Order: sequence, then C-alpha cells, then structure tokens
Amino acid sequence: MRDLEGYRETRYQLLVLRPGQRASWIGYAMSYHLMKDFDMALSILEEFRKTQMPKAGDYEHSELLMYQNMVVREAGMLEEALHHLDRYESQIVDKLSLQEIRAELLMKLGRSEKVGDIYKDLITRNPENWAYYKGLEDAIKPGTEEETLKLYTDVEEQYPRASAPRRIPLSFTTGDNFKGLMDTYFRRAFHKGVPPLFVTVKKLYSDPWKQRTVEDLVLGYAENLKTHEKFALSDEGELESPTTLLWVYFFLACHYDFLGDTIKSVEYIDLALKHTPLLIELYVLKAKIFKHAGDIEEAVRLMDEAQSLDTADRYINSKCAKYMLRGNLIAESAEMCSKFTREGVSAVDNLNEMQCMWFQIESAAAYQRMGKWGDALKKCHEIDRHFTEIIEDQMYYNTKFAKAAKIVEIYLHLHDHPLSDSDLDSALDAENLSPSELRKLKNKQRKAKKRAQAEAQQKAEQDKKETHNKKAQDGELDGPKEEELVPDKLSRPDDPLEQSLKFLKPLQMHAAHRIHTHIVAYEIYSRKGKILLMLQSLKRGCQVERNNPQLHVCLLRFLLLIKQKTDLPEPVSKLLQREMEKFYNHKDPLTLNTEYLEQNNNSILHRLAGARMMYELSPTPEKQEEALKIATSLSPKLQGIILNNCIEVLEAMCRGDFGKCETTAQKYQADCHKLFPYSPSFIIPASNQPDQVNGNAS
Amino acid sequence: MNIRCARPEDLMNMQHCNLLCLPENYQMKYYFYHGLSWPQLSYVAEDEDGKIVGYVLAKMEEDPEDQVPHGHITSLAVKRSHRRLGLAQKLMDQASRAMVECFDAQYVSLHVRKSNRAALHLYTNTLKFSISEIEPKYYADGEDAYAMRRVLKDFKDKSTKDTSSVKAIKDTPGKKDKSKKDGDTSKEKTDTTNKETRES
Repeated sequence: MRDLEGYRETRYQLLVLRPGQRASWIGYAMSYHLMKDFDMALSILEEFRKTQMPKAGDYEHSELLMYQNMVVREAGMLEEALHHLDRYESQIVDKLSLQEIRAELLMKLGRSEKVGDIYKDLITRNPENWAYYKGLEDAIKPGTEEETLKLYTDVEEQYPRASAPRRIPLSFTTGDNFKGLMDTYFRRAFHKGVPPLFVTVKKLYSDPWKQRTVEDLVLGYAENLKTHEKFALSDEGELESPTTLLWVYFFLACHYDFLGDTIKSVEYIDLALKHTPLLIELYVLKAKIFKHAGDIEEAVRLMDEAQSLDTADRYINSKCAKYMLRGNLIAESAEMCSKFTREGVSAVDNLNEMQCMWFQIESAAAYQRMGKWGDALKKCHEIDRHFTEIIEDQMYYNTKFAKAAKIVEIYLHLHDHPLSDSDLDSALDAENLSPSELRKLKNKQRKAKKRAQAEAQQKAEQDKKETHNKKAQDGELDGPKEEELVPDKLSRPDDPLEQSLKFLKPLQMHAAHRIHTHIVAYEIYSRKGKILLMLQSLKRGCQVERNNPQLHVCLLRFLLLIKQKTDLPEPVSKLLQREMEKFYNHKDPLTLNTEYLEQNNNSILHRLAGARMMYELSPTPEKQEEALKIATSLSPKLQGIILNNCIEVLEAMCRGDFGKCETTAQKYQADCHKLFPYSPSFIIPASNQPDQVNGNAS
Repeated sequence: MNIRCARPEDLMNMQHCNLLCLPENYQMKYYFYHGLSWPQLSYVAEDEDGKIVGYVLAKMEEDPEDQVPHGHITSLAVKRSHRRLGLAQKLMDQASRAMVECFDAQYVSLHVRKSNRAALHLYTNTLKFSISEIEPKYYADGEDAYAMRRVLKDFKDKSTKDTSSVKAIKDTPGKKDKSKKDGDTSKEKTDTTNKETRES
C-alpha cells in the first residue's frame, strides 16, 4: 500500500523548494490525481500550463496537455475533455493518441456521426490496427454483412498491401461470401509462399463449418496443383510454380497437427520434405508435430537438424534448446544456448543475468520432472528474483521521470497491476512454482520418514555452517549480497509450507482467473489444516470454473473432512454451514458424485475425477470395476480424447487412485497406443512407465 | 497480425521475443527506459491471442553529434515463425512516422551486423536505408557494424498532408537543452537483426 498523503506532502515540499521546475508542478498535481482529488489536480496543472510559452513542436508541453486531458477524462468530464482536445490541438504533437482519444470521447458522448471519419483517418495511418476497424464498425453500425464487408473492401482498394482488411472479413462473413473470400485469401498466400499462413487463419476453426470449408478448399488445391499445377481445373492463365504446392502441403500438415491427427499431419509434412528436402521450416514443423504426438525424443532430433541448417539464427537455436529441456536434456540445452550467449561466462549464468525466463521456467519444469527438487526450486527463486528486481526498476523509473502523460499512465497501470496478469511469463512462472513446491512438499512428507533423520539434520547443520561462512565473507566485502541459492539447501527447507505460501500470494493476486491457482491454494491450506482458507479457495475456485474436475475432487474431500470434524468452535461451524449449503445443497458426497458424473458424462477428465471419487468413497471391488470402466472409456463420442488427458488417466491408475488395477491399466495402455502410436507413454512393455510424469496436486 | 503502439504491459513480452530471436539482449530496465522516455515510438505485432510476434524498440538520439534530431532503432525482431508477412516493414513505418510527428526527427539510424546479409537486404532494399559508416568491433564478440540511415522526408510530407488543418510551424530545429539522463544505457549496444526467410 502506498502512503499517498505522505507523497503529497513530499511533493508539496519539493514544489516550494523548486517552483521553477516542471517536474515539481506535475509531481504535486499527480499526488492529488492519485488520491482522486481531480479538481485540485486540474487546477494545479492549469496554473502551471498558464505559465508556459510553448514553442512549435514542443513535445514536453504536448505531453503536459495530454496528461491534463487524461485527468479531465478520469474526472468524468467528457465534454470538457473533448473541448480541451479541440482547443489545444495545434500544440499536441502526439496526433495518434489525440485522434484515438477523440474518437473514444465522441463515442461515449453518443456523437458517433463524426467518429467514422476519425477511424478512417486512423486506418489511413495504420491499416493493420484491428482496433480501428472495430471502432469504425461500432461508429457506422452497418446493418448487413454486405455493408460491413464494404467497409473493408474500400480500405483494401486503397491499401492493397494491407492484410487486416482481407483477414478480418473472414471472421464475420458466412456461406458463399466466406468461401469466396477465403479462396482469394488462400490463393494469394500460397502463390507468394507464406509460412505463417496457418496461424493467421486458425482462429476461424472455432466455427466447425469454416474449418471444414478450409479443409475442403486446401485439399482441392493440393489435388489440382499436383495433377495440373492449378488451384482449380477451370483456372486459366499461367501455371503455378512447384513451391505453391509445397506451401499447400505445409498448410495441411499444420492443419492436421492442430486437429490432433498425427498420422495425416506426418503424411503431409513428409510430402513437403520430399518436395524440398532442406527447408528449415519443414523440420521445425515436423519437430512440433512429434512433440504434440508425445515423442519428444524424435522432436528434439528433428529440431536439432533444423538448427544445424542455420546456426546463425537464434530463434531456431532457442526452439531447439527448449525442446531439449522438454526432453530433460538440461546440459545439452545449455550447451545449445551457449552459441548465442556471451563468451567467457557460462550460458546458464548469462541467461540468468539477461532475465531469460523462458529458459529458467523450462529448466525448472525439467528438474521437477526429474525429481531434482532443489535445482527446480533454485530456478524458481531465480525467476522470483527477476520479478522483484523488475518491480524495483519500475519504482526507480517512476521517481526518476515524473514528467508526462504517458508516464502517469504507466504509473497508474503499475499501481493497479504491479505484475501484468496478462503476462504469459508471469503466469507460467507462477504456475510452475506452486506445483513444484507441492511436489517437493509431498515428496518430503513421504520420504522424510523413511530417510534417516540424523543424516538430514547433519546435512542441514552443515549447510547452515556453510551459509554462515558465506555470509561472514560477504559482510566483509560490501553491502548485503543476495544469498546464494544452493539447490541442496533449497530442497530441505525448514518450512516448506511457508515457502509455498510466499509463491501463492502473487498467484492469488495476479492469476485469480486461473482455476489452478485456487486448487493449489486449497492443497496448501489443507496441509496447514486451515479450514476457513480452504473454504475460501473453494469459493474462489467455484467462481472461476464450478465444474472443474480437480475442483470437484477438492470439494468432495472438503465435505468429507468437515463431516469428521466435530470439535470446531461454534462461530466457525456456523459459518461453514452457511457457506457449504451453497456448494452442496445439503447433499451427501455420494449423491454429489453421482450427479457430477451424470452431468459431465461426455468428458473424459470429468469422468476421471468422478470415477476417482467413486472409488475413494467406497473402495470395494465392485465400485473399483465400475469406476475403472468410467475412467477408461475411449468411446469416440466422448470429448477430450487427447494425448495429455489419456496420459492423465493412465497416471491415475499407476498412482493407485483406483487401488490395484494392473490388467486394466495395461489394456488401457494398449488401447491408447492404437490412438496415439507416436507417444512413448503407451508403448508396452512399459519399462519406463510414466510415474515421473507431472502428476496433479490432488 | 495486429500492429499497434507498444503499451507498458507489452515491454516484458518484447523482452521475451528479443531473447528468443536476437543475440543482443537487454535487462527489463532498458525497456522501461524506452517506454517511459519515448512511449510513442515502440510498436508491437501481436497474433490473435495477443502474443507478441514482433516488435520495434525505438528511441530518439539523446545528444546527437550533428545537432540534428533523429531517431534510432534499438532493436527490431520478428519471430521466424511469422516471417514473410511484411511485419518488419510495417513496424518500422509506424515507428518512423511517430519519430517525425512527436520529435521532429529528420532521419532514423540503426546498426546491423556486417555478416547479417538478410537484415542488410531488408534495410537497403525494402526500407531504403543506406550505409553511413562502418563501426569497427561494435559488437561484443568483435564483429563490425554498419551504421545505417534513412531520411524521413517522406513521412514528414505525409504527416503534414494528413493533418493539414493543424500545420505546426517550425522554426529552427534548435537544440533543446536536455539534461543528460542517468544512463547505464549509453553503453548498451544496440542491434537490429531481422532475417527474412531465405527464398526456398
């Protein structure tokens, strides 16, 4: 939390001290702005503005005006904001923001008649910004598909090189309109040879009809190009060059890979490779197909081949290193990366210095899979330190450059979201941290008893001594240094739960929209025996995804747990009763589970969760048979028959969630092998049964 | 692919993209520095899931030796998986126009590795840059760089034409007294590497 009052005081002192500086005035205004005292903030800014004699093209003055405008808007004075823009237009150099804000204001004020022209203007400036087309549509409100399409064809005529006006209509057109546009779009791209063509259209696949239409179109091209070097037999004019067919094969391989049809996908990528044997993109795609099919070894081999064809390209190098990590080849991966890291430093250290988080996240996951908890935690802590450092840097810059509009925007943004929750890395980072903590925790619980305690203690003391020594040395040098992360020590924390809580907090703050966050929270709190916090996690989980299979397991277990607790204090049990009514509706676990299975009868992960609980509730041979039947069904009518889900079912059996069931597990493995012939997980004899594969927390 | 001005929350994903694609990398603070000092100049290309697939990280030269205000491309990258969509050019055009409008830039400069023929081709042929000098041993590994420039007159004409109603009358582009910004930045080497897929 920030001390805004204190901040205002400080800014006031600074203003008194240095009234001649721009920063003093803006800083003082900003303190009111942050406290939402818009009137005061505005009058300070206005006083300061009056003293300014801007030269033509004065950027800083322009930013001052934009900041002033932002405060006016935040104060809800839209009409004034618009007037302010009009009045100072000639002094504002950031024409782009000016027009964007003006369009927004006019829309909010319900004066859409002028907005269309503004967006047309903005499109002239940048015909690739999708938001401008959305703005244009919202302003003009075309009535029919034809009218909407007209907006785009107009732009296309004006900017034939722009791709947005050709691509966006594919999303909203239907029937023959769509078919015709798609055909034109494809022909142009295949003719030119555009490797990322598939990624530009895959979003259309959410409509099954469009997906089929695409497939039919492209299969048609493949046939006609192969036999007649034409997209369609009726085509006249020049014949297509052979590379056109290559890119059609490439597209089809992407297409079938996306649909999970490994066999067809391999078929097309092999056709492409036969056509052009040394094209890197083909190897990259084939590697990806094998990765998706579960054969990481072959994927690594292929990516390495791709990499060897262009060793000067870091993107391919990074991909190859990443695949190696997926295959737990940690040392090889670092070696691969070292081709692009600074000489004289180890690649791992250099990547850490450069805050290269993808490498660290993937390394942590690899160590986790290998059961090297200490090393995995080390990577997690390194990532955590990056975030700490980055947040500190943000603060530094905030105090350093309190000068203009955009900066305040950034400041406010950081105030609201210190770590961007849309940030992929942070999410991934966080996601990997907690399970790893949990795994380690479970591991510890299981093994600690077996392991000679004396040995552990000895080790701990030794570690303590070592760090003592280190600290002493550091102290002699200068300032506090970061504590070195020692894997061994990390894997034997005194307080694993407290440690995991540290990582949970940011997750709850920034990844509250992820069901996984709440499930992990539940698991941690259940180990700490914090009933109310468990309840809170369940409640939050229900808000995100009531039906989630893992959450279902947690919900039932919680109900069972509370039923056993008879010694809870009155207020707690009252609260529990009230809240639990909402989850459970007074039903008993058995009924709830039966209902869950009925309601989610067609999804294999939901069936798995229901079946697990069925057996957990009454571990009898009859129930075991029934549960296994539900869990292992691979009927084509079911949803979610994909590689990872099937691996999860198999793991549950291997883990003993259904008691002893080797025969069923083997039969399941054989059935899955037919479905996923490329995945090593289902190859029998299972000398390497996936007991090490990422299990779930529950 | 959507092309738009970079926002604060993009900076981290730009760093990610940079680390995947290019050998010259920077810590987050250097991205912040760009985002805070010249927020109009950096652009990103994103796919439909909002993933950054390319970016241009740009700035204004802070103390131009020639006293002429000009922009500088710190880094430009497009993921190899998204080549041949013309993204690099579109990103550069947007950044260049913003340099002209907001900062009255006369030209834009960049460095490119001497060995990077694909990038050199892009800058010379597609983007109309020309080599201004050779900087020996510019890169950490000892490689020379070409310093390249593109005059931004076209963008200037365009921007005055498009906004003819608000003509800003320019007096001499005199030097602004800019206090030297605190800089661990001046030492940072910049690089622009964009390789278009070699024709198959």
